[in-house]
Amino acid sequence: MAKRLSGLQREVLQMYRQCIRAAHDKPKANQPNFVTHIRKEFRQYQDLPRKDFSTIEHLLRVGHRRLEMYSQPEVKDIH
Amino acid sequence: MFKPMLRGSACALKAVSVRAAFRPVAAASFVSPIRFYSSSLNKDEISSRVIDVVKSFDKTTASASITNDTHFAKDLGLDSLDTVELLVAIEEEFDIEIPDKVADEIKSVGEAVKYIESNPEAN
Repeated sequence: MAKRLSGLQREVLQMYRQCIRAAHDKPKANQPNFVTHIRKEFRQYQDLPRKDFSTIEHLLRVGHRRLEMYSQPEVKDIH
Repeated sequence: MFKPMLRGSACALKAVSVRAAFRPVAAASFVSPIRFYSSSLNKDEISSRVIDVVKSFDKTTASASITNDTHFAKDLGLDSLDTVELLVAIEEEFDIEIPDKVADEIKSVGEAVKYIESNPEAN
């Protein structure tokens, strides 16, 4: 943890921050659903080797697309 | 020949001085467009509010004794993702947005308090 984060790791953290912020814009009652979903999606790949750049970059791209989709105001809840 | 000229210039001088005398009055009657920030936030208040947010965060383990020295990772057992979530919760509490670069550096309660104290938009 004390180790300095790589650029890619920071990118993932920034993406996580954007997701959590987007979740806080959703209706109050459904916010926990979004947060658990975000946690699950990120934790799922927690043990990915940090050198596996192509996979991480792919997941980042996919994540950005999904973030864009889910942050539409029409999306009110998630399962 | 010089007399009227002189008188004329004296007249002009008077007009200038009259205008100059009026200007400050006129300026003072306007409300100056300065933005006033609430200066009611003191350090103790900020840190107690930050500690409340940390306590209510559902992943903190040792919630009994949180002080300004509490380190997110070492003392609370939070990993980097949890820290991000906690910082967003703190942002919401103070109605600010911590830029990514700064947020990556904040790793303890004290550092968060220090940043909020330096941010004039926090309330």
